[in-house]
Amino acid sequence: MSLALLSIDELRGFYKSKVMLFLWVGLPIIAILFRFVQVSTTGQDISFTVISTLIVSSLAGTLASVMLAVSIINEKNRHVYELFLIRPLKRRNILFSKYLSVYLCVAIASLISVLVGIVTDFIIGGTLSPAVFDSLGQSLAISFSMIAIACAAGVLIGVASPSVLVGAILVIYGGNQISVIPLLPTLLNTSNATLITIALAVVTAAALLAGAVALFERKQF
Amino acid sequence: MENSDLNGANGIDFVVLKNVSKYYGTFRALDNVSFTIKEGEIFGYIGPNGAGKTTTMKILVDLISDFQGEISIGGHQIPKERNEIHRLLGYLPQNVAFQDWRTVNHALTTFGRLSGLSLQKVEDSIPKILDLLALSDVRHKKISQLSGGMIQKVGLAQALLHEPKFLVLDEPLGGLDPLSRHQFKDIVLKLRNKGTTILFSSHILSDVQDVADRIGIISRGKIRQIGTLNELKSNLQPQNIVEVLLSYVTDKWVEFKSINGVKSVEQPSPGRILVYLAEGFDEAEVIDALVQAVARLKIKVRGITLLSPSLDEIYLNYVQESETT
Repeated sequence: MSLALLSIDELRGFYKSKVMLFLWVGLPIIAILFRFVQVSTTGQDISFTVISTLIVSSLAGTLASVMLAVSIINEKNRHVYELFLIRPLKRRNILFSKYLSVYLCVAIASLISVLVGIVTDFIIGGTLSPAVFDSLGQSLAISFSMIAIACAAGVLIGVASPSVLVGAILVIYGGNQISVIPLLPTLLNTSNATLITIALAVVTAAALLAGAVALFERKQF
Repeated sequence: MENSDLNGANGIDFVVLKNVSKYYGTFRALDNVSFTIKEGEIFGYIGPNGAGKTTTMKILVDLISDFQGEISIGGHQIPKERNEIHRLLGYLPQNVAFQDWRTVNHALTTFGRLSGLSLQKVEDSIPKILDLLALSDVRHKKISQLSGGMIQKVGLAQALLHEPKFLVLDEPLGGLDPLSRHQFKDIVLKLRNKGTTILFSSHILSDVQDVADRIGIISRGKIRQIGTLNELKSNLQPQNIVEVLLSYVTDKWVEFKSINGVKSVEQPSPGRILVYLAEGFDEAEVIDALVQAVARLKIKVRGITLLSPSLDEIYLNYVQESETT
């Protein structure tokens, strides 16, 4: 009950503070801009779907980590959580709701970017290459898996960091690096790469979240 | 507005702290703090900065759980039965903070729902609480756009919305204008009369004096005194003294010694008479007899004053005493 309430509350907060707008419009725009820069500098008109997936993979994870780490550190240091923690709810649900809402927002932004890629490819080429659809599932699995790990890393960094500055440094040092774990099966050409990617993401994100919850449960406010 | 008769209190210990200690590293923030708060009582908690007031309150609302000692609220142990205790609590922190994007309405809806109220109950309660705190005009405004005093009131609104049985108010009057402070004290007294148990800290001693049934003075992590204002006064100054200022020097004042309830009389300086009241007599009756004696003896006076220490003097006495021990 409280998890659903808190998650809806977080999403409402993202909507009110225009986070959704910047994510859902901003990320596809960056993907489009990147495509034209790519075309003008190299002259190679590569599939926009591939570009947008690349953009999503590299940007969305960082966005997710930063959003979560900064918001948790900021709210923790301003003592915003005190009014939540004295109520009959599980402490961990505060973190889970943040995780779920940021994951959902960034995953939707990623999906919109990929869809914009597909539509742009169709408008420019008049048709879509079957290869695009062949790799789309795996690309999305990698993207969503990276976002899942990045979100969990952001939560852990947010709980553990004493200041926004330290949090930002840790996100750049660790959050970004750990979120590339889902790329390993593809890079190593393993069979069932998509399944292994998802499994790796679930295990890594769960471990990071468990660490964050353990710290948060023991934290003295 | 002194409340020594514990109007709403029914004699049951609702909050019990036994030998509670808390260390931050090697710093001892609380040292064997023990006190009880009766159900329906307002307990004023005063002490200098860093005395341990906020630490005590944070332990009571379960924001700090690594402490030594025993605490029970409404018969439930902290932290073992924290879920039950959280259902009883309303809390206004010293520096109340909300997320920037929240409106007053949204904050109250969220906190009301998280406190276990149904959406319908929350929607019914919000207008009432906003009206009570004169916040109706800002219901749909962002909290971040409000003044400090208004934010404090929103903080109080979220603490009261779900009608908690135990209300913990940490410096609730900071930043409030005189009218709001008066309204706030009225609200607190009404809640007490409905049976709410209230722990209330403040640096503004006159505010504590106005509403508290009993007062606890803490300094350097130790409870120095607990009692009603009258008890604290009598602990500090066992005898009440009446000062009589004569309009002219006369020796008729020696007759005051014969008044029933007067222990002794002295003239420390010409025209200034100190009448020491004996214990066990009604203070008002003895003073009345003294006034009648003044009239009977045809003594002209400039004033008759009961020399009773104010809460400020009591506070300073106990706090300064603790600084030297």
